[in-house]
Amino acid sequence: MKPNKAIEIKNLTKKFKHLTVLDGIDASIDQGEVIAIIGPSGSGKSTLLRCINLLEMPTSGEIWFKENEITSPKVNLTTVRQKMGMVFQHFHLFPHMTVLANLTFAPIKAKKLSKEDAEEKGLALLKRVGLEDKAKVYPGSLSGGQKQRVAIARALAMEPEIMLFDEPTSALDPEMVKEVLDVIKDLAKTGMTLAIVTHEMNFAREVADRIWFIDKGKIVEDTDPAEFFKQPKTERAKQFLDKIL
Amino acid sequence: MNIDFSRIEPYIPFMLEGIWVTLLFTLLSLIFGLIWGTCLTLMKISTIKPLRWFADFYTSIFRGTPLLLQLFIIYFSTPQLLQYDISPLMAGVLAFGLNSSAYISEIMRAGINAIDKGQREAAMSLGVNYSTMMLFVILPQAFKNILPALVNEMITLLKESSLVSVIGVQELLRRANIVTSQIYVTFEPLIFTGIIYYVIVMILAILARLLERRMRVSEA
Repeated sequence: MKPNKAIEIKNLTKKFKHLTVLDGIDASIDQGEVIAIIGPSGSGKSTLLRCINLLEMPTSGEIWFKENEITSPKVNLTTVRQKMGMVFQHFHLFPHMTVLANLTFAPIKAKKLSKEDAEEKGLALLKRVGLEDKAKVYPGSLSGGQKQRVAIARALAMEPEIMLFDEPTSALDPEMVKEVLDVIKDLAKTGMTLAIVTHEMNFAREVADRIWFIDKGKIVEDTDPAEFFKQPKTERAKQFLDKIL
Repeated sequence: MNIDFSRIEPYIPFMLEGIWVTLLFTLLSLIFGLIWGTCLTLMKISTIKPLRWFADFYTSIFRGTPLLLQLFIIYFSTPQLLQYDISPLMAGVLAFGLNSSAYISEIMRAGINAIDKGQREAAMSLGVNYSTMMLFVILPQAFKNILPALVNEMITLLKESSLVSVIGVQELLRRANIVTSQIYVTFEPLIFTGIIYYVIVMILAILARLLERRMRVSEA
């Protein structure tokens, strides 16, 4: 039996003016699967991720989220996005809210949770990322790694069905990368569906169920990590790996 | 030189009362300007083109003609056009509110544009709707950034409120002129009034600085 698809992408293209960033992407993500999206900078991997929750509107093609086509103009983007968590390279925490308020903001405003329930859940999530003692402080006083863990907790507070990570460790000092990757690893173990754009090859090899190698707006390899890192099929992937490993 | 401040002494309570008129007038104009200015700002950043055109056109008209002219049109032409006998205070608040909203909307637009677009994306990715995002994420941060500029606008309004003396609102400057016409001296009432304006402006500036500092502390 085929596992249920969480995301299905059909012939997706994205153009900015005359620049083709995504060029006919066909791919899918099973439920509970962890996908690592890798590739040279400018290859379109972040754009692909941002298309999945429609922060970028595709120029053409379809994206299906479970049994719904979310690229259809009839779809309410706000409700779709409530089911997809997104973590950004530069965190984008709300600087004028406390850490806990960052976590409870969307559940209270969008899901109409009571303040008490939202705070209880928020505190539990902060505990999960090891930051329960930071609930009352403002994001400005946190380190980069702590900020990113809060950002992950904030996305989880909406209880999404899939989490998207856009280079979650690229803006961090090296000594803080591990604490963030550990949180993502724990998340993977819970069976959550994850798509992660990353430059951390060891992490991709260890955690991902599948690698998408993207170059010039196309998925050139869609394969399991062991195979990809041992013997990439395409010349471009070989060159890429030679450069960074 | 013939300077004698004791001559205006009996009129000091009368002139001081002008402070409340001036402050009330400034406050009403500012509130009106803020509300209508916020509406204009939302039009300027909206995706609906006619709204943007309207707001930009509005701004260019009110910034491109003298405030005194706008005041005259509203005060003197309202009775002719609408058969409504508008009071000087109302005409003043209307003119100053409409005028300052043009400036305030420009200040606000700049403040909103200065907010990192990641804030907007973060809110969107959490699935909150546009108005919630504007109200709770973007505007509070923008407001903090533009607070000094808004205080400046308030100080400008306060000083320019002296213009409404020409249509008969008994604010500070008008009262100085009334005193002049009673005792036939100009220098002392004008200087006294000038000092009052200066003190009010200084107090506002200090309050603004304290407020700014407090808002910064809350984030440390």
